[in-house]
Amino acid sequence: MNEDVESKLRDALRPVEPRAEFSRKLLARTLSTQAAPSKKPKVSRGAARPLVGWFSASLAACLLVAVGIQQQLHQQRLRATGLEARREVEQALRVTSQKLNLAFEAIKSQSTAPSDEKSGV
Amino acid sequence: MRKYALAILIALQAPASAWALNPRLVIPEFASLAQKSIDSVTITLDPALLSMASRFLDASDPQDAATQEVIKGLRGIYVRSFTFDKESAYNQSDIDAVRVQLAAPGWSRLVQTHSAKTHADVDIYIMVDKNQAVGLALIASEPRQFTIVNIVGAIDLDKLHKLEGQFGVPKLDLNASKAAPKQPDRSAPQK
Repeated sequence: MNEDVESKLRDALRPVEPRAEFSRKLLARTLSTQAAPSKKPKVSRGAARPLVGWFSASLAACLLVAVGIQQQLHQQRLRATGLEARREVEQALRVTSQKLNLAFEAIKSQSTAPSDEKSGV
Repeated sequence: MRKYALAILIALQAPASAWALNPRLVIPEFASLAQKSIDSVTITLDPALLSMASRFLDASDPQDAATQEVIKGLRGIYVRSFTFDKESAYNQSDIDAVRVQLAAPGWSRLVQTHSAKTHADVDIYIMVDKNQAVGLALIASEPRQFTIVNIVGAIDLDKLHKLEGQFGVPKLDLNASKAAPKQPDRSAPQK
């Protein structure tokens, strides 16, 4: 029984010479797989060129937009500061005029009732 | 040799600048009074801000044009005004720090008024250099309010007149005072 199994195994695992076509097919397949990657970069380089262009263009556009937004914000800040300064000028002149009015009223009333008001102009 | 010449030039200029008239008052921030006040106005307008404000005034509008004319020669406007909800909320000593500066050479008291009715005191000082008003200071102390205004620069009093009725600027006989500025009043204010 054991001898039968052994002989069967030996028979199954004995070295067998490949057929003549096998070597040729294997060689052809190896050559084709080696050649294939070398072709790929040629195709991708050509395809990447417009992509690089688009990327540069979009980067430039982004930069332009960023500069534009920056300018816009700067202008807005300047405008806000200018309007605030204008408001302050008007308020300062208003306060000044109110106090000048106080002096004026005192001078005016002094001319009518000298005992109530004192002034020196 | 050039170094020595430069050093001498600087040394000669230093006292000259020290004697130069300075219409800019050192006005404190009055932080503690600002906290106590119910309304406060703190305005600090330097030349850059004045120039910017001028650009935002519409020259075609008569009021804006008049304002533009008034602020054209100015180098600064400084206002501190505090309103309190009760009387005697501030001390005269708070104002005295500013009033002392007005005893410096160049300042002349133009107007001093006291109203018995409103208990308001208004002092107007002017600094004149070469027949040109270069500074104006106004101190108004009322029972519930005190205001300090300092205007620095070439103040054209005629132009200030043009603002009359627009900001409520009254007619004061400023031209007469401009022609013959009074001597500085060195007497300590009696408050």
